[in-house]
Amino acid sequence: MQSTRDAIAGRLFTLPVLVVSLVLVAYPILYGIGLSFFDTNLVNRWDFIGLENYARLATDGSFLNSILVTFGFAFLVVAGNLVVGTCLALLLDRGLRYTTVFRVVLVLPWLFPEVVVALIWKWMYNPVYGLFNADLLAAGIIDEPVAWLDDPNLALFAVALAAIWKGYPLVMVLVLAGLQTIPRELYEAASLDRAGRLGKFRHVTLPGLRPVLLAVVVLETAWWFKHFTIVWLLTSGGPAGATSVVSIDIYERAFKNFQWGDAAAAAVVVLVICLALSAIYQKVLHRDDS
Amino acid sequence: MTRNAIRPADAVAYGLLVLSSLVVLVPVGWMLSTALKGSDELFSQTVRWLPQNPSLDAFVRVFTDYPFGAYFANSILIVTVSTVIAIAFAALAGYGVTRFHFRGRGSLMTFLLLTQMFPSIMLLIPYFKLFQSVGLIDTRTALIIAYVSFQLPLCSWMMVGYFRSVPTELDAAAAVDGCSRLRTFFQIILPLTLPGVAATAIYAFISGWNEYLFALVLTSSEDKKTVPVGIGQLIGQYRIQWNDLMAASLYALVPLTLIFIFLQRRIISGMTAGAVK
Repeated sequence: MQSTRDAIAGRLFTLPVLVVSLVLVAYPILYGIGLSFFDTNLVNRWDFIGLENYARLATDGSFLNSILVTFGFAFLVVAGNLVVGTCLALLLDRGLRYTTVFRVVLVLPWLFPEVVVALIWKWMYNPVYGLFNADLLAAGIIDEPVAWLDDPNLALFAVALAAIWKGYPLVMVLVLAGLQTIPRELYEAASLDRAGRLGKFRHVTLPGLRPVLLAVVVLETAWWFKHFTIVWLLTSGGPAGATSVVSIDIYERAFKNFQWGDAAAAAVVVLVICLALSAIYQKVLHRDDS
Repeated sequence: MTRNAIRPADAVAYGLLVLSSLVVLVPVGWMLSTALKGSDELFSQTVRWLPQNPSLDAFVRVFTDYPFGAYFANSILIVTVSTVIAIAFAALAGYGVTRFHFRGRGSLMTFLLLTQMFPSIMLLIPYFKLFQSVGLIDTRTALIIAYVSFQLPLCSWMMVGYFRSVPTELDAAAAVDGCSRLRTFFQIILPLTLPGVAATAIYAFISGWNEYLFALVLTSSEDKKTVPVGIGQLIGQYRIQWNDLMAASLYALVPLTLIFIFLQRRIISGMTAGAVK
């Protein structure tokens, strides 16, 4: 009797979350998957065409290009965030004076809306009036102004740099929290074994950070793989598709060309890639545990 | 103590920290400097950090020449309402999951975690179509609903964590005193998780305030747009008024900064209060 009442009460307390999850997440996702099998204008034409949308995407050069670009972008940003975030966390963990001041300053970009980050960097990258060219010209590093966002060879790196500026603080904060969980005794034991600073880092700090770093890599990859805003506002996917990440490709298919079925199919492909990536990471994580 | 200060290494550490801080502060400073410049000085090829004729005109123009007043009102309304709803639902779920045994409890939490893996772009087209078919396209309600659904999974996970840290003995004691479940939740357990509620609210508010893509797709008329969309559409213009845009961006940072300062103090005081007990 008590347990039935318990179960009912538990269900009532979780009901709002359950309803939102079903109506606003599960149902739309199923709807999106269903849409990918149709040729439709979302109003009155609903032709079931099976896997035709997928078949078309498989031979669509611009879609395949966008998948490649997205892998490149996600790799650059996740690697950059990981290196910068971890290094800064290690520096902040040394217990230096004024650490709090540095921490507040270094966490700032995390607070910035992506739109504002895009705006600041677009202004700094401006080929004629931008801070970047002015400083690099003055320092003699470049001889003539560079069009950072209009050069197909540079644009992806330029966009990734802005994304790293926005993204590293989260990694820094998470790694900093991870460093606190490493027992001090381990360092003391390492000292007794006459481990040097480098030895302690390799044999105590890095293994201690492993779980945090792996979790961060999984979340960050899923996050940046589907990123839209900063890239869209800096380059809109240009020049010549050099920064056309898959979110931009889907957005344009849907809301510029009104190819809803194609766009839905492309979104399903992204979902599958994200799930596959996280499954691979899970495997790596499990192998690590054993 | 293992970290006996080695002077040269510390010096290098300070150097790197100062350098990194500059990488953060230079763009922010440049943004401030740009906002204070007049339009004629904006397009000059010499870099001038201190404007020759600094003026606050851009900060006024944001509201007189552009509909940023409406954008800000929309953003504040939409994000506040969605944050309150998300926190309320998440707190109820946090209490339900940590206090009661029922089937499907674990699957619900797993599903919520799994939704974090779903690309949000996957929801974009379904949301557009579904809101269109119920007549909610281009309304603030649509954005509130969308943002609740984005904020809820992580908020629920955070709240479950905070509720788990409150001992269930308190519930038992309240039950002995004849306190109903709902009253126990509101008057005894929830107040103890307030620092957690604050932290969760920060997360939810920031993620909603910064959201761009769904606001871009789900709204179209000027009086429904949010701040990110308002700034974003000016970036795309042919001749960008950088000073006005930077002023608008600085305004967009104000709520985040205020919330961060205010709530951070509350979280810290909440944590120390718990430690003293």
